Amino acid sequence: MMTQIVFYVFATVLVLSAGMVVSARNPVHSVLFLILAFFNAAGLFLVAGAEFLAMILVIVYVGAVAVLFLFVVMMLDVRFAQMREGLQRYAPFGAAVGLVLLAELALAFSHWQVAADIASVPHVVAAPGRTNTAALGDVLYTHYVFLFEACGLVLLVAMIGAIVLTLRERPMGRRQNIDRQHERTAADTLAMMTVPLGQGVAANGGFRRPEQSYYIASVPGSYGVTAEPVPQGKPAGAAPADGAPESGHGADNHGGLAQ
Amino acid sequence: MTSVLADYFPVLVFGVLAVIIAGAMLGSSLLFGHQKPYAEKVSAYECGFEAFDDARHRFDVRFYLVAILFIIFDLEVAFLFPWAVSLSRIGLFGFLSMMGFLGILTVGFIYEWCKGALDWD
Repeated sequence: MMTQIVFYVFATVLVLSAGMVVSARNPVHSVLFLILAFFNAAGLFLVAGAEFLAMILVIVYVGAVAVLFLFVVMMLDVRFAQMREGLQRYAPFGAAVGLVLLAELALAFSHWQVAADIASVPHVVAAPGRTNTAALGDVLYTHYVFLFEACGLVLLVAMIGAIVLTLRERPMGRRQNIDRQHERTAADTLAMMTVPLGQGVAANGGFRRPEQSYYIASVPGSYGVTAEPVPQGKPAGAAPADGAPESGHGADNHGGLAQ
Repeated sequence: MTSVLADYFPVLVFGVLAVIIAGAMLGSSLLFGHQKPYAEKVSAYECGFEAFDDARHRFDVRFYLVAILFIIFDLEVAFLFPWAVSLSRIGLFGFLSMMGFLGILTVGFIYEWCKGALDWD
């Protein structure tokens, strides 16, 4: 009795939230209703006794797939009013497709027959005393090994496909060559000066920039860095004499200083 | 299967408590707070100047790549759970089948590492 009540609560909320997924005005709200639908499907799995599947549904679908859908929704340049315009036009097609699907499902389920010797099929009943997760693990890696390895191949194809489709060689930022950055010492980059009292910095050549370029430790070819490595080892006397501190501070010439 | 549902009664209690606490926080601030909005107060604060643009920009496609790579390795870990639970039963064959699965995904991992899909420059 209790099981029936729980089932109908979960199923009702699942159907209602699935309806809201397609009818919500804001796509972000659709994704949130999709999360609610996932949670209720997990509840249905629990009612059926499939604890492991319920938890995996929550972890994988709510934790990862819903986030992916949110990213997809936010990547699209959605104009909400424009999206509503299409509803009237596409409603007949959608209804036709749905009707065909419904008819096919009705046909399939009306001729569905459970085999008479269902109990003799191997692994259809879990060994007594095994938990849900253990019963899955008993058959998944031995009896269904080909499907399992094929699943790994599908995941590999998804990974490579996602990389091929979305990875662009478009350097957006300046990357550091970590080894060269670690090799630098303070003496390579800084010059300590003794400034006489009362003279100020302008008389001593302005604010001193580093003896070598800032870019000496950045990856050649990354954003804003010329492809060939910058010449090293500027003599300390060749520090810029720009004079005014404003121009001497943080001028971004690439490839070396004060050429 | 009532026993499975009965096992999850504490989860239900936690869920109900979470809803009550969250509802109390939201509802009491709605009930007891002073709410006198006007145009300046509800406008976006942009550090001293007018907001340039709508905040709803399109996301970079690289977020999608990170999310899909996360899903794939999430699934890999999900497959490891039943394997670890029943490793004593499935023997060497089960162990090696999981090693093959992990090997396939490691090929993809090396590929994405070498392509620089994990770099965020």
